[in-house]
Amino acid sequence: MSRLEAKKPSSCKSEPLTSERVRATLCVLKGILTSSYGPSGRLKQVHNGLGGCVCTTSHSSALLSNLPVTHPILKILTTSMQNHVSCFSDCGLFTAILCCNLIENLQRTGLTPTTVIKLNQQLLCLCTSYLKSESCGCRILVDFSRPQTLLCLVRSIVTSKPASMLTREETDHISALVLRAFLLTIPDNSKDRLILGKSIIVPLKGQRVLDSSVFPGILLEMSEVQLMKILPIKKSDAFKVALFCASLSGDLSDTGEGTVVVSSRVSLENAALEQLLNLGRQLVSDHVDLVMCQKVIHPSLKQFLHMHRVIAVDRIGVAVMEPLSKVTGTPPIGSLGSISPSSYGSVKDLCPAKFGFKHFLHLIPNEATICSLLLCSRNDTAWDELKLTCQTALHALQLTIKEPSVLLGGGCTETHLAAYIRHKICNEPESILKDDGCTQTELQLITEAFCSALESVAGSLEHDGGEVLTDMKYGHFWSTQAESPSVVNWPDLLSRCGCGLYNSQEELHWSFLKTTRHPFAPQTCLPHEATGSANNLTLDCFTAKLSGLQVAVETANLILDLSYIIEDKN
Amino acid sequence: MAAVGSAKVALQVAEVLETIVSCCVGPEGRQVLCTKPTGEVLISRDGGCLLEALHLEHPIARMVVACVSSHLRKTGDGAKTFIIFLCHLLRGLHTITDKEQDSLISKNIQTHRRHWKNCCQWKFISQALLTFQTQILDYIMDHYLSKHFLSVFSSSTKERTLCRSSLELLLEAYFCGRVGRNNHSFISQLTCNYFFKSMACESGFEEVFDLVDDYFVELNVGVTGLPVSDSRIVAGLVLHRDFSVYCPADGDIRIVIVTETIQPLFSTSGSEFILNSEAQFHTSQFWIMEKTKAIMKHLQSQNVKLLLSSVKQPDLVIYYAGLNGISVVECLSPEEVSLIQRIIGLSPFVLAQASAQYEICNTALVKFCKPLILRSKRYVHLGLISTCSFIPHCIVLCGPVQGLVEQHEDALHGAFKMLRQLFKDLDLNYMIRTSDQNHTSSPPTYKTSRESNPLPEIVSGLIQRPYQGTVVKNKGKLAKTQTYLKVYSNLVVPNVELETCIPYSTPKVTPTDTYQTDETLRCLPPTKTRIIDDSEPFIESNSANSIAENTGIEISYENLQVTKMARKGSMLPVREKSLEMCTSQSYCCSTLPAGCVLPVGGNFEILLHYYLLNHARKCQQSEETIVSMIIANALLGVPKILYKSKKGKYSFPQIYVRTLHALQTSQPMVSSQTGLESVAGKYQLLTSVLQCLTKILTIDLVINIKRQPQEMYDQDSEEEV
Repeated sequence: MSRLEAKKPSSCKSEPLTSERVRATLCVLKGILTSSYGPSGRLKQVHNGLGGCVCTTSHSSALLSNLPVTHPILKILTTSMQNHVSCFSDCGLFTAILCCNLIENLQRTGLTPTTVIKLNQQLLCLCTSYLKSESCGCRILVDFSRPQTLLCLVRSIVTSKPASMLTREETDHISALVLRAFLLTIPDNSKDRLILGKSIIVPLKGQRVLDSSVFPGILLEMSEVQLMKILPIKKSDAFKVALFCASLSGDLSDTGEGTVVVSSRVSLENAALEQLLNLGRQLVSDHVDLVMCQKVIHPSLKQFLHMHRVIAVDRIGVAVMEPLSKVTGTPPIGSLGSISPSSYGSVKDLCPAKFGFKHFLHLIPNEATICSLLLCSRNDTAWDELKLTCQTALHALQLTIKEPSVLLGGGCTETHLAAYIRHKICNEPESILKDDGCTQTELQLITEAFCSALESVAGSLEHDGGEVLTDMKYGHFWSTQAESPSVVNWPDLLSRCGCGLYNSQEELHWSFLKTTRHPFAPQTCLPHEATGSANNLTLDCFTAKLSGLQVAVETANLILDLSYIIEDKN
Repeated sequence: MAAVGSAKVALQVAEVLETIVSCCVGPEGRQVLCTKPTGEVLISRDGGCLLEALHLEHPIARMVVACVSSHLRKTGDGAKTFIIFLCHLLRGLHTITDKEQDSLISKNIQTHRRHWKNCCQWKFISQALLTFQTQILDYIMDHYLSKHFLSVFSSSTKERTLCRSSLELLLEAYFCGRVGRNNHSFISQLTCNYFFKSMACESGFEEVFDLVDDYFVELNVGVTGLPVSDSRIVAGLVLHRDFSVYCPADGDIRIVIVTETIQPLFSTSGSEFILNSEAQFHTSQFWIMEKTKAIMKHLQSQNVKLLLSSVKQPDLVIYYAGLNGISVVECLSPEEVSLIQRIIGLSPFVLAQASAQYEICNTALVKFCKPLILRSKRYVHLGLISTCSFIPHCIVLCGPVQGLVEQHEDALHGAFKMLRQLFKDLDLNYMIRTSDQNHTSSPPTYKTSRESNPLPEIVSGLIQRPYQGTVVKNKGKLAKTQTYLKVYSNLVVPNVELETCIPYSTPKVTPTDTYQTDETLRCLPPTKTRIIDDSEPFIESNSANSIAENTGIEISYENLQVTKMARKGSMLPVREKSLEMCTSQSYCCSTLPAGCVLPVGGNFEILLHYYLLNHARKCQQSEETIVSMIIANALLGVPKILYKSKKGKYSFPQIYVRTLHALQTSQPMVSSQTGLESVAGKYQLLTSVLQCLTKILTIDLVINIKRQPQEMYDQDSEEEV
């Protein structure tokens, strides 16, 4: 250490949430998040003034990771959301908005943090147990024999990311591709434990989105020259593959800590090369068709293999090694000694492919759970967003396999849940009040704050100045076009609820979301035929949303509980 | 610059700290957010952590923080109570200072400057406090408080079995003060489950605590991004790394541990390998390969399925391991290796054995070995079969942010520290000196010294328990002697410089371990009276009875020396006296049994308050009375804060009055709160605070040296980008 400095004392602030500055920054953050939420959300362009790429997005992970926040409270909030997104990919904005709403509403009640936190936690328990229960009116069990539900889920995720700039046709195409890519990763004959494969996203920028496609196996990108060398490939049955993870460059291995003395007439390079060529001879005599190496292949060996019509591909990189060993059905070879015949793998077919301006070597496996998703988009920023979207959708599908249910999307889950809690608290407050010393009034206040936080998350789906309403039977979310006439016949103006399950022609009564309503019991237990028949539902990933709800409430509790901030200014 | 009067400054410092700390105390306490210069955010309610994060500048504050952290290292709990208690003590001292002045300071001193007078006065008080801590506290704990203690063990028999419900209550109360209020019951339940799952048999719980405390980092996994309620306990050991190669295996899985690379290398350090031809190079490479292959084959033939390595293995080893169906985990930390060794009692495998084609004896069986995926990070999950009383389990702690996960980790670690402390016996050893009522036989000079001496080491009462036969024998002879009450506690007695406080002789006493009083006691004899300060060199930190006995003898010898020295200047007839005095010391060794608890909510404080007041009423010395009163009143500070937000029946005055009434009428105490806390922890907290206070009071001057501030060069480089 060159220089020692005395530590500066930290600064210590009390009651951080009461400060005007914190409120203002929280409000700004909330504004950024709410305006990006949902299919009609506005895009954000994030760039720093000193160059660097410009990011156009409405995706929570891209947005939060690019936003520099300085205040510790905001830092807690954003890291919490980022952690959630890195776990579940989906529902990041939902979580962040709900958390901001909760902090704002609960602070406004002016009750002591103890009471607030205790009751908030109770309400959360109520929510989670309802969402998990059989009678839940906003959860659909996934029937894997009908891919329609999964397709709806994928489509909802794709449409909710407007920054990927897709038309309706493109949306349908991408959704179908993502679902197909996912289905290809499911093994045919699974034993007791299902091990999913992997879909590799291959970028291809500058092409039409509709050119995107899915292939089983792996696409290895290589230059045209390389590919021309390989051609022509002629063979009918399976190809024999040797996959190396050890370097074939003729380097000396680690010689230990002592000294190695080499006399002047000995050339170790020659010795190493001789060893490599021996290996090459063995490969040729074993009739290997394709040699792939994670690291570098020595040019002489490459040349030797080429002369014997063996295709050699090197510098594959560690990321593709695992999928490759799955595709070829063999673990990579790590030794340059004699290779046992069982170490060779095989692929069904090997063909060159050209998409756009890029050349690929396509390895088609006999049977494997690896597929390549070739994603095309017109420009870089849209492609980045599209890739994030596809990753999110694939992750959501994986989560759905684990927990086979989905939630109604489009704001309906939020309003339904709020209606359920209002009703529950109004009718049986004893269930919550029984053990701790809170009054009924306090409970009412907190419930109102909690439910309106949920409802305003749903309300922030509407960005075009339309009215947001809820019906008094199912508790679903409805929104109108902007600038609708003031006195109207609601059934004509509204067509379908947010998730698309119900239409307005039923005998329903509506009420504005912002106004106070009489608590009513929303209809629980979804009718089975309703979910089966509807084709165009908006759905949300169950696991992600449930966890998002929990994380939002826990983070809000945490922030409301802060009494001091000690900032280390060193 | 010199700041005068440490007590007043210390009070200001303590009050500032108190305001910060008191918002985090107890079940109603709130969280504090700490940011680090690196940008990390930490959420904490841990007093020690907060005090560290503040980076205090004031020298007294830093001393307080140092005292707190040394206390925390010992017990793992009580930092916040420490500050509150210290603050109340200082406040109490501050208010009575004026009253005390006359009683403490002899008239001769009035000519001195007022500041030094004050210092002397603080010094008196600090010595009085020390005497209280070392002598009266243990006595009261043993005599009065002990009858209220409860135990976490379910039966009173010799065999100690833990009672689950009391442990739950204990942990619940602990976590109430350490983690966020909506998580404490969940976390305490998790800890309790963890503990009972990890315990192989009822009797071996101490080993479990020791092991978990030592290897806590290895036994828990933090996961961010999930709700706290997803935290759970997993059976087996989770290593914080992935397999280098994983081969699914079931049935008999044997493991070996290696600490060196398996592949032989060309040359080892300090040796030289001479290559003469290319053929030689080929053969040696071939040999290395074959050798590695042979070792792995051999391992496979011994049914070894898992290789744990503390070093990075070459790729060749990994490759052959994979071929032979052996999974490999590399780069284990030394702690992980030693934890595994402690659990399964397996020593590392030596390579020389493998070549000899013997059966490898250093293998162990595991139930399973598989990857564990937590939030897309892969871990190694081992089902070790334990050979000790700890059945391996790991805690997976989830939380939305890293700061919260860390808070829970710290709290859990602290809980295990606290439990470990709780299950140790705490020795309360003290020596009783019965002060007899008529001092006629004792020399008048001695009496005067006693009066001006603020060390009231006398506790009225009877000889509690005659320790040795010899003592009893001597006791008969000595009808009119004083018996000393001295405390021998196993706590570290503070190395505070104890200066004898006779105002007009300035004796220099340095704390020494040897009993060479020739050096330690140098009295200047300008005055008419000769003062023997024999309260001084008895401080001893042994707890073993035999040692205590030995020191008794030593002390008597030493007193002899003291009096011999004393004779030079005066004609005190103390020689026989001193001998008698020392032989009549009687030691009381009593222990606070392991696992003593009291209900939470300030019970300990109120009880001690009550008995201290009683004690103060009984004793004659004004200093002792005053010190006891100060401490008794300061004790109430903690329950006052705990009940601050409660109203009506549960407000502090109501609780206080009810408890006192119950004590006076000797009815059982009713506690409004469930939950238990460790008595040993509270006791140690009290002694730590008193030690800290004595340290503060003995300082008379703070000299602040202003160093030339160093130049900072990178002022402008960190502009907003």
